[in-house]
Amino acid sequence: MFLTRSEYDRGVNTFSPEGRLFQVEYAIEAIKLGSTAIGICTPEGVVLAVEKRITSPLMEPSTIEKIVEVDKHIGCAVSGLIADSRTMVDRARMECQNHWFSYNEKMSVESVAQAVSNLAIQFGDSDEDGGAMSRPFGVAILFAGCDEKGPQLFHMDPSGTFVQFDAKAIGSGSEGAQQSLQEQYHKSMTLKEALTASLTILKQVMEEKLSSTNVEVVTVTPEKFFHMYSKEEVEEVIKDIS
Amino acid sequence: MAHHNFDRFAAGPLWHNGPTPGGIYNFPGRQVEDSGRFQERSKQPITTGTSVIAFKYDNGVEKGVAIAADMLGSYGSLARFRDCRRLCKVNNQIIVGAGGDYADFQYVQSMIEQKTIDDECLDDGFSMKPRAIYTWLTNILYNRRSKMDPFWNNFIVAGMQDGEPYLGSIDKLGTAYEDNIIGTGLGMQLGVPLIREAIERKPLMSKAEAQQLLVHTMEVLFYRDARSFPKYQLGFITPDGVTISDPLYLDNQKWGFALYKK
Amino acid sequence: MAVVEPFAGSRPMEANRFSPYSDNGGTVVAIAGEDFSVIGSDTRLTVGYAINTREQSKLFRLSDKTVLGSCGCWCDVLTLTRVLTARLQMYNHEHQKVMSTPAVAQLLSTMLYYKRFFPYYVSNILAGLDAEGKGAVYHYDPVGHYERNHYYAGGASSALLQPFLDNQVGLKNMTNATKEPITRERAVAIIKDAFISAAEREIHTGDAVMISIIDKNGIKEERFSLRKD
Repeated sequence: MFLTRSEYDRGVNTFSPEGRLFQVEYAIEAIKLGSTAIGICTPEGVVLAVEKRITSPLMEPSTIEKIVEVDKHIGCAVSGLIADSRTMVDRARMECQNHWFSYNEKMSVESVAQAVSNLAIQFGDSDEDGGAMSRPFGVAILFAGCDEKGPQLFHMDPSGTFVQFDAKAIGSGSEGAQQSLQEQYHKSMTLKEALTASLTILKQVMEEKLSSTNVEVVTVTPEKFFHMYSKEEVEEVIKDIS
Repeated sequence: MAHHNFDRFAAGPLWHNGPTPGGIYNFPGRQVEDSGRFQERSKQPITTGTSVIAFKYDNGVEKGVAIAADMLGSYGSLARFRDCRRLCKVNNQIIVGAGGDYADFQYVQSMIEQKTIDDECLDDGFSMKPRAIYTWLTNILYNRRSKMDPFWNNFIVAGMQDGEPYLGSIDKLGTAYEDNIIGTGLGMQLGVPLIREAIERKPLMSKAEAQQLLVHTMEVLFYRDARSFPKYQLGFITPDGVTISDPLYLDNQKWGFALYKK
Repeated sequence: MAVVEPFAGSRPMEANRFSPYSDNGGTVVAIAGEDFSVIGSDTRLTVGYAINTREQSKLFRLSDKTVLGSCGCWCDVLTLTRVLTARLQMYNHEHQKVMSTPAVAQLLSTMLYYKRFFPYYVSNILAGLDAEGKGAVYHYDPVGHYERNHYYAGGASSALLQPFLDNQVGLKNMTNATKEPITRERAVAIIKDAFISAAEREIHTGDAVMISIIDKNGIKEERFSLRKD
């Protein structure tokens, strides 16, 4: 097994005899090194919560940005190689603006996921004027947004595969967190319940103690669209969790 | 314009004898190609053909499209070429007729012929339908007009589309429309009303009657169109296939209406 | 400022310069109601004083909620509507939904503006239902400026018909006029009257009117004959 791997994991476009693309699988492995991010979709809106790993007390926590606004009505949480995610978020923002420019309407969450997916699978492509990325992106993304179909949550991995979820966890603590999500999620969850659930679960899987400085929380609702929680608002939520 | 005077008080230009920023500049010593004049060529037709006329007929037993064009290639007002075939068979269900610049027509004809050859090479038992040629020609002509280098032609596409008569027209700009009776040039002004009236009188026409009407229309056009000629061709597209006649002559001309006829 | 030629026709080459545009006439009128839209076009296609055909509708059905009326330079109309239809189809596939009327309106504007320096010489009127199901009429200039209105007339007879619509639909310059929503029957009747009058005075309009009535149940089409001379 080890032998076959080492032979078929050099080229990003070379299948192994078992029909696998190892570089893509390695990229998916890279996500599991990333910090945990959780998304929960409720009828009232979508919650995104991520942990920030403060590796040094001299670090300025507010400069770690893992949840970003793509458009007024769409936000996304990332985990993995954050530098790679900037390229993808850039594309997502560009596609949203382009859609607004051409059609004077908000781009749907699924279409944004589709557009970013098109970028994600371009690795290895090349033509006369250079090529795209030489390797797969090492990020997983949670797209949260509210469009005409209501609140939605999409997950995309480095292979470009994107799937809609009610609740999804990515990153190092994702296995345990996903298990907890499965237990706690129900279709009629309120936004408040989802907020507390996401931070409770995050608290369980984080190595450091959860505080208002080492988490980022965002809600996307049909009324207020993208809303990043301030330090005070986060503390308000933390108060409710044991 | 008074306000031009203030230029005298303003500062001079930053430099002289150099390229104008944003302007087109020819460097000395280089052979300047006078592309502008060559582009002018297609802005006017040289050797031209006059009208083409065509109409659908159907009497329940016989149906098809009848089309006709004379064989004169005019060089301005000079009747220069007397054997210009302006109807061309595309395949077994399409005839394309052309007016306007004859050289442009020959060029387009060679494109159509190449398309037909490609089509036959597929050997799949299918051939292009008239509406396909009509749409394709529309795009070709529109693209050329958008480059300001038009094919100076009027085309009439006549054929059988899925067992029904088909007739469409395209001009040099890519203006395209379908109708039951189509004429180009003077054929639109003189020929179409004549044919329309005849069809209104007798809506169910046989092929023989259609031919008679077509010949009559060509005769009237010859009387009144100074760029026309009594030698012409007829084309018929029927469910059985395409026929284009050998050159025919307008005999039995009746010039009785001419006042000073001897 | 017009250039005065001292000897008209003294330069035959110049006089015969190629123009990529032609005016093929045609008129489009649209009226938006509370929960419907009506749009009509004549079916005459002309070049100068000649009639190309009497049976060319200038209405293009873009979806079950949107109809475009387009006239002016016919070759541009053909190209514009063909590209637009293709863009709509691509949108359908990319976003798995039918484009809404306001989205088509914006798309048409961007498409027109992209040819700002070699414009489509076309006057467009877009009629349909918006996202709330209300009647919507948009009209355009050839380079993409657009505006939403309750009614509009475009094309050869626009200068004749717009004041008529202002009065009869917009109830402008009327004393004691009570403003109430226009009914479908009245909208259709006004469009027919408008075209009958236009055909009397304007030679590039005539032969017949095609009318599309758009409501939540779909599009109904109607044909109405005009004078043919």
